[in-house]
Amino acid sequence: MLTLAIQQLLTKKLRSALTVLGFGVCVNLYIVVTTVMRFITDDLDLQIQRFTGVLFVQSRGLAGMSGIEWPPISSTISNAEARAVLSQPAVDPERSTKVTFASLAPPPYPTAPPEALLVGIELGKEDVFLGGAEAAAGRVDFPQPNGTNVAPPAILGVLAARHFASAATATTEVPSPVGPIALAALGSTISVRGHEFEVQGIIDPETNQLLRSAVLVPLESAQTVLQTPDAVSAMLLSPKRASDIEPLQSLIESDHAELMVISDKQLAENARKLLDRVNQLFNVVRWTSVSVAALLIAIVMFVSVLERTRELGTLRAIGAPRRALLSLILSESAGFALVGSMVGVPMSRVVIRQALGPDAAGLRSKQIEYGAAGILSLCSMLAAVMPAWRAVQVDPIIALRYE
Amino acid sequence: MGSEPQVVEEARESQRTPLLSARNLARIFHLGGQTIHALEPLNLDIQRGDFIAIAGPSGSGKSTLLQLLGLIDSPTSGEVRVQNRAAHGLGGEQRAALRLKTLGFVFQAFNLLQMLTARQNVEIALALAGWPRRKRRARAKELLESVGLGERLEHRPLQLSGGERQRVAIARAMANDPDVILADEPTGNLDSQTGREIVQLLEDLNRAGQTIVMVTHNLEIARRAGRLFLMRDGRMREVDPSDPRALD
Repeated sequence: MLTLAIQQLLTKKLRSALTVLGFGVCVNLYIVVTTVMRFITDDLDLQIQRFTGVLFVQSRGLAGMSGIEWPPISSTISNAEARAVLSQPAVDPERSTKVTFASLAPPPYPTAPPEALLVGIELGKEDVFLGGAEAAAGRVDFPQPNGTNVAPPAILGVLAARHFASAATATTEVPSPVGPIALAALGSTISVRGHEFEVQGIIDPETNQLLRSAVLVPLESAQTVLQTPDAVSAMLLSPKRASDIEPLQSLIESDHAELMVISDKQLAENARKLLDRVNQLFNVVRWTSVSVAALLIAIVMFVSVLERTRELGTLRAIGAPRRALLSLILSESAGFALVGSMVGVPMSRVVIRQALGPDAAGLRSKQIEYGAAGILSLCSMLAAVMPAWRAVQVDPIIALRYE
Repeated sequence: MGSEPQVVEEARESQRTPLLSARNLARIFHLGGQTIHALEPLNLDIQRGDFIAIAGPSGSGKSTLLQLLGLIDSPTSGEVRVQNRAAHGLGGEQRAALRLKTLGFVFQAFNLLQMLTARQNVEIALALAGWPRRKRRARAKELLESVGLGERLEHRPLQLSGGERQRVAIARAMANDPDVILADEPTGNLDSQTGREIVQLLEDLNRAGQTIVMVTHNLEIARRAGRLFLMRDGRMREVDPSDPRALD
């Protein structure tokens, strides 16, 4: 029966090829969507982990769709107000800073920060934002100004370094899943909205999307670039004692009605809500791909059974048991699912590499690939049960009736 | 262990027991409010080594009889017995198992699987009966050689002539060494010369001990069988195939 199933698939070459391709596209879609879902979830978790125990202060008003804008690009707080907040006794001045954010390039996908994000931060407070991230090259703290610096320093995430490579005075090539990519080189000069910065370091890419996108510059330089010398976007506050976090939050909100103070837990909750919405959409796409694959196999097998009524009747007439016909049809469906998965999995690797570029590093998951192939194959086999049942119902008289 | 005379007697008894028999076998169809008596009650015993031809015009009921004898259809009344075992009341799967092991079918339109080679078409019947791959390859080759197709093993049906296709079908029917081969108009789709060759092949098989029941509307071919039954309007009578007046 296996020979018969294989021969059937080989005889109807075009139909088999199209079915395999269709199934492969569904497997590919399922893997890509699941991988992106996992990437976004993991990345947001990593972003939030870096701000554990930190309060985010931003202005009310232009909040994001989920109530909290992240990162708070449209938030504006005056320098004076920021100073007043930072002077609260419970605030640890060494681990708290004013921050300015600005988008320099659009986000690569929904929920992602801009591909290049200007982050202005006070000198010596870099680690409040970096949260312990290390340098892949150069340094991740600003050098003290010594009068010899031609341009203010910039520390770049890998996405930002790639974004500025074309305009940098020097580039360097690094390997990536999509082949070597050019990055702005250490010591090179980049231009941000007409202002030059000297690249002092590249942040380790094994962090999160926020840091990979960052163009970290001194706060004053960022304010100069943005022409907002008297304003910042937000503040990152660390209380002196962990137990001060909630009282500090309440105190600032009561004293500054126009400010919103967000704890790491609220940030996480907000991220979770955002993720849930995005994942709902992704799940629709995933289950659509499963349904399409199952329907495809069911339709192809139904047509096949209808075309082969006489053949099936002959097999019944010469003594084939029902289970033989059942296994014949299910074997053919399994063949489509197996070969389709063998097409879909490599297809998804190419799509993920092309879609996420350097971010695709380490994203390939055999668990997701095998899981996708397994789920789609199982659903397709279940869908093939109906045509298979139809096949076993064929009356052996059919074999003689045609004559 | 029985004594020698007892064993001999059992063997004789076995020889006398019909391989296939019909008792008061009748088939009525209800079509569009009409009742059609396709087969009036009839009796038939098919003994080991018989070559039986059932002849008659279209609509006389001969194919209906073959379907009933082949356990493909169920009678309205009466019964079919296979080696003295009633097939009445058997489920679809048990009937399929009986067809597989004890009956071989040859169809008018050959009914070969187009995507398979001649050898694979024969192997299908062996695979269904659980033969291991290596043995069934050898058996299929041997059967195809025995019907004169030793050089055409790897040809597909579309690459074979009508007569060759029917030879493949006969090899497939013989695959599981059936008690009876049931042939439904085996020469119906063939020219007269090829038809005669196929009947010659069936005769050769019969001479080698194979029991054959053949349905045909061709009286010239029917007359070559050892026993001849004529059918008309669902009724059947046996005639002497060597009597030229019997067919008038």
